Amino acid sequence: MSQQTPEIYSVELSGTKDIVKTDKGDGKKYRGLKNNCLERKKKNHKEEFQKELHLDDHKLSNRELEKKYGTDIITGLSSTRAAELLARDGPNSLTPPKQTPEIVKFLKQMVGGFSVLLWVGAFLCWIAFGIEYSSNKSASLNNVYLGSVLVLVVIFTGIFAYYQEAKSTNIMSSFKKMIPQQALVIRDSEKKSIPSEQLVVGDIVEVKGGDQIPADIRVLSSQGCRVDNSSLTGESEPQPRSSEFTHENPLETKNICFYSTTCLEGTITGMVINTGDRTIIGHIASLASGVGNEKTPIAIEIEHFVHIVAGVAVSIGILFFIIAVSMNYRVLDSIIFLIGIIVANVPEGLLATVTVTLSLTAKRMAKKNCLVKNLEAVETLGSTSIICSDKTGTLTQNRMTVAHLWFDNQIFVADTSENHSNQVFDQSSRTWASLSKIITLCNRAEFKPGQENVPIMKKAVIGDASETALLKFSEVILGDVMEIRKRNRKVAEIPFNSTNKFQLSIHETDDPHDKRFLMVMKGAPERILEKCSTIMINGEEHPLDESTAKAFHTAYMELGGLGERVLGFCHLYLPAHEFPETYKFDTDAMNFPTSNLCFVGLLSMIDPPRSTVPDAVTKCRSAGIKVIMVTGDHPITAKAIAKSVGIISANSETVEDIARRLSIAVEQVNKWDAKAAVVTGMELKDMSSEQVDEILANYQEIVFARTSPQQKLIIVEGCQRQDAVVAVTGDGVNDSPALKKADIGVAMGIAGSDAAKNAADMVLLDDNFASIVTGVEEGRLIFDNLKKTIAYTLTKNIAELCPFLIYIIVGLPLPIGTITILFIDLGTDIIPSIALAYEKAESDIMNRKPRRKKKDRLVNQPLAVYSYLHIGLMQALGAFLVYFTVYAQEGFLPRSLINLRVEWEKDYVNDLEDSYGQEWTRYQRAYLEWTGYTAFFVGILVQQIADLIIRKTRRNSVFQQGLFRNKVIWVGIASQIVIGLVLSYGLGSVTALSFTMLRAQYWFVAVPHAILIWVYDEVRKLFIRLYPGSWWDKNMYY
Amino acid sequence: MCWNFKALILNQSMNGGSCFNLEIPEERRDHGMGLILLFYLVFYGFLAALFSFTMWVMLQTLNDEVPKYRDQIPSPGLMVFPKPVTALEYTFSRSDPTSYAGYIEDLKKFLKPYTLEEQKNLTVCPDGALFEQKGPVYVACQFPISLLQACSGMNDPDFGYSQGNPCILVKMNRIIGLKPEGVPRIDCVLKNEDIPNVAVYPHNGMIDLKYFPYYGKKLHVGYLQPLVAVQVSFAPNNTGKEVTVECKIDGSANLKSQDDRDKFLGRVTFKITARA
Repeated sequence: MSQQTPEIYSVELSGTKDIVKTDKGDGKKYRGLKNNCLERKKKNHKEEFQKELHLDDHKLSNRELEKKYGTDIITGLSSTRAAELLARDGPNSLTPPKQTPEIVKFLKQMVGGFSVLLWVGAFLCWIAFGIEYSSNKSASLNNVYLGSVLVLVVIFTGIFAYYQEAKSTNIMSSFKKMIPQQALVIRDSEKKSIPSEQLVVGDIVEVKGGDQIPADIRVLSSQGCRVDNSSLTGESEPQPRSSEFTHENPLETKNICFYSTTCLEGTITGMVINTGDRTIIGHIASLASGVGNEKTPIAIEIEHFVHIVAGVAVSIGILFFIIAVSMNYRVLDSIIFLIGIIVANVPEGLLATVTVTLSLTAKRMAKKNCLVKNLEAVETLGSTSIICSDKTGTLTQNRMTVAHLWFDNQIFVADTSENHSNQVFDQSSRTWASLSKIITLCNRAEFKPGQENVPIMKKAVIGDASETALLKFSEVILGDVMEIRKRNRKVAEIPFNSTNKFQLSIHETDDPHDKRFLMVMKGAPERILEKCSTIMINGEEHPLDESTAKAFHTAYMELGGLGERVLGFCHLYLPAHEFPETYKFDTDAMNFPTSNLCFVGLLSMIDPPRSTVPDAVTKCRSAGIKVIMVTGDHPITAKAIAKSVGIISANSETVEDIARRLSIAVEQVNKWDAKAAVVTGMELKDMSSEQVDEILANYQEIVFARTSPQQKLIIVEGCQRQDAVVAVTGDGVNDSPALKKADIGVAMGIAGSDAAKNAADMVLLDDNFASIVTGVEEGRLIFDNLKKTIAYTLTKNIAELCPFLIYIIVGLPLPIGTITILFIDLGTDIIPSIALAYEKAESDIMNRKPRRKKKDRLVNQPLAVYSYLHIGLMQALGAFLVYFTVYAQEGFLPRSLINLRVEWEKDYVNDLEDSYGQEWTRYQRAYLEWTGYTAFFVGILVQQIADLIIRKTRRNSVFQQGLFRNKVIWVGIASQIVIGLVLSYGLGSVTALSFTMLRAQYWFVAVPHAILIWVYDEVRKLFIRLYPGSWWDKNMYY
Repeated sequence: MCWNFKALILNQSMNGGSCFNLEIPEERRDHGMGLILLFYLVFYGFLAALFSFTMWVMLQTLNDEVPKYRDQIPSPGLMVFPKPVTALEYTFSRSDPTSYAGYIEDLKKFLKPYTLEEQKNLTVCPDGALFEQKGPVYVACQFPISLLQACSGMNDPDFGYSQGNPCILVKMNRIIGLKPEGVPRIDCVLKNEDIPNVAVYPHNGMIDLKYFPYYGKKLHVGYLQPLVAVQVSFAPNNTGKEVTVECKIDGSANLKSQDDRDKFLGRVTFKITARA
């Protein structure tokens, strides 16, 4: 209603600039709305982000501001008042996201995964001992030891996993450390530099070019100030800031600067109006922290796998407990069996191995500039099916660069790659000579001094973005620009301003015989053209007629249509007789002509895509990953960039394109005819989630432009509803909620804001989108390799389990002890299973579709069946062969072992007769039993070597893969053998470990079985390759 | 008719007219189950055959008469009879025959091969020296049960239990090829105050070398291992007290009796409680 009423301006936090929603005056109504929001919040967490921001400070006059914040623009706050406010509002810093306390993380490791089973096992051990002890005081302490060993295993693997996690988190925290910022503040009429954390509302601060804005500030006065809001809104262009109130929307108005944006040039004096979490950035950050962390796909897979294994362990354990009890075993013995079965079934070392494998990959990725904050995120990129990428700074270089030139009625393409090295357009034309002169001279930007050795494109420049672009462009092509400028001394200049929309300067020429002055001008093309009467073509001046004007417009439209910012250039040689050398130019009186100039050319600039991006996008495409652009920038620019990087491929059209081609109205086009779509935030706002789903599902190529942080979130959620694993890349604060929501958030390391880096799971240290492709590749590889590791590890579980089952059912002396099993699981098998992480991909993993969430499982049925029932069983047989051989050669033939268990284990039977009539004491039998353990252990070990070799590949022959390509495998095999040798021969005399010195030949007994395993698996792979899709393939490929 | 393995295993489409074609895509679930069962039948059959074969090969490396290695029983253990049920503790009451009936039965059963009748066909071997044989027929030496004197059961069918002087037999474990050195004997001492008397038979607990070496169950048919009997005499006033007897091999360098871990290697300790 009326302007006078103290209005509360309400704008969605999203920062949607296009939507201006004013709530005229009525405070009550507003409150009602807010309450409504709060109610909705409970129902739907999305509504949470509808928190509204009321900010009216930009409309207030300086006086009103002083009154509102109780401050004085000249003298600033008093120190005491500032201290009070600081005490009231807290420091001016963002509350860091809630961290899980370390102890909770640690305890989680202690009870997560298989640990629970092992705890149960340990307690059963102690209970068993307790029962035994209560009836017999001299009960052996074996069960106590075993229980303690199990607990130690849990604690050690827990500590290990915790350490690995902590290590990878530490990389990040060192990365996060920032130098505390200082702010220049006026307090008690004095200028002081204080840490910006101590700023309070009402403080008067001064900010100069290069500084970060220390809080949300209302500009009181400014000089040529421009700020970079790209991290907040996604606009690459610097935004001017002054004290004028220019727009209702606080995000659009020029007199407010936002916390954490950067002041590029000029100076501002302003009043702090919001600090800490109450700043716009603070609100967005809280939006981000409100988004729960999703479980990573690999965490889901590992959980699934743990459930399978634990399920098998518990059900077999209970089944055999029942069997044992019904076979009249004592309950106590049955409990011991149960423990044995659990220990045999649980791959104790596997989770630690997985952690190591993931951190190895994380390390490898860090070398390739992908820093992974959360270990599990290593794999997530591999299963990603949609990448939602921010434009500015991620896909583009985040700097304006000359992209096209138009002169001689022709459009020339300039090289926009990162180093500009390859400018191939025709530079022989004399028009180009004139144009290049204008570009060089009509430019106020300069290189900062002292950068002689810095490559041109990396040099720091004083000047705005487009002048910088022109300066670097001319420096690359013409050489030393400063030298050229020196030779063409500047005599007068009118800088660019928004009313003129042009920039003009007058120079002496570098030709000593030419005494004329050269006037050069650049500016908005239409304004420049108005001032011209001639146009230069091939170095000749031609009168500007209709056809040339039309050519100009066509070119202008075309370049503008590419989303580029176009500038026009013209010049005029002032006649020497009218303007002699001594002529005094007066820029205020304009005592020189500014019309009838000669038009020379157009030049357009864009924030160009990074040169590696198009290739990366293509690779993502072929890897079955949909790349969606989500940007806060304008649709035209967004579309142009999307086209140039291949997010919209060359031959696909949007609805608008079809409409234009067929010259029909947009509404008449069947919208599903188009392959690509450009959707703006405005349109998105009115869509229901079903419509969003429809768009996401039906268009292959999608660009979302002018989106707010909240909408980015909606888009991510939409993708996740399609059962996609979504990666989000971004650098700005406005991206952080989406980064958090995504299955994997990827932030830019150089350009990225801290908020983005905090919210992300991965940081690209080189800001290069192409690094994502590396991430995808590594992620897929690690998934494949984890499969191999798990298959390798699960196999021997059967060989460890069978002895117990046979022991219970058939009554053989125990073939392998619980401690021995632990030595396999945590000793010999560890390095080999890690070695599988170094395995190279079997085929081009970047040419297949991303795995389907919850369908293509890490541990699927064929994997479990093949590992347990095929290789595992073969292994068990091989190990039993070694066991029987040892017993038979010592005197106990296999037949005699059946049902020998009871007599064998009686402590007071010291004359047990073997097959040859010899009699054994209990201890002699125990020693033989340990030799049996060692034999069984060696049997498994030898066959695990074969298992390791076959697990190198899942489809290809091991020979195709290269037997020796992965050297670490051989390190693993060597480690297995060495550990085995040390255990048997080195520690053979330590009774508690129950290893004995095994005869050398027993190491070879299982070798035929090992060879059989290898051959069998080669046959399996051969049939899989020969008959893809067949019954065999379906059942045998894991 | 051609039986196509490929079709069977791979369920490939084989449209070769007369060929036996197992592919039925429409019922692939049932069919798949059938195939899986068949597959596992064949696969496990193969594994079983293979395992049996390797076991057979392994058994071929063995000798019927002598085990391949005897390294794990270098020295014999001692064992007592009657065989205790749980621990090596004998409790009986001389006035209550049922309390020792089990022991007597056990002893009788154990001594059955030692009866004169059973030993009829055994050889009388020269005393005091190893009785090494070259085969092919190996003979077993007689062990006259009378050597056990009061504990032979010939004169006292109650083996002294009814008088409160229980007999316990001690035997040395059989080990193929064991040749004791020196003059092995079994020495028994009472760990407590030596109020009850302890007597060993044969005299001094001697173990004659003629019973060694042992050639194994198959060759050395009818082999009788030498026995030593221990008789503890409880004075009638000394009832209800637990007596610990420790017996060990003595007088032979290669028969160990001092192993830390193996409490039965060359020695045995048992307890007797005799009640009135």
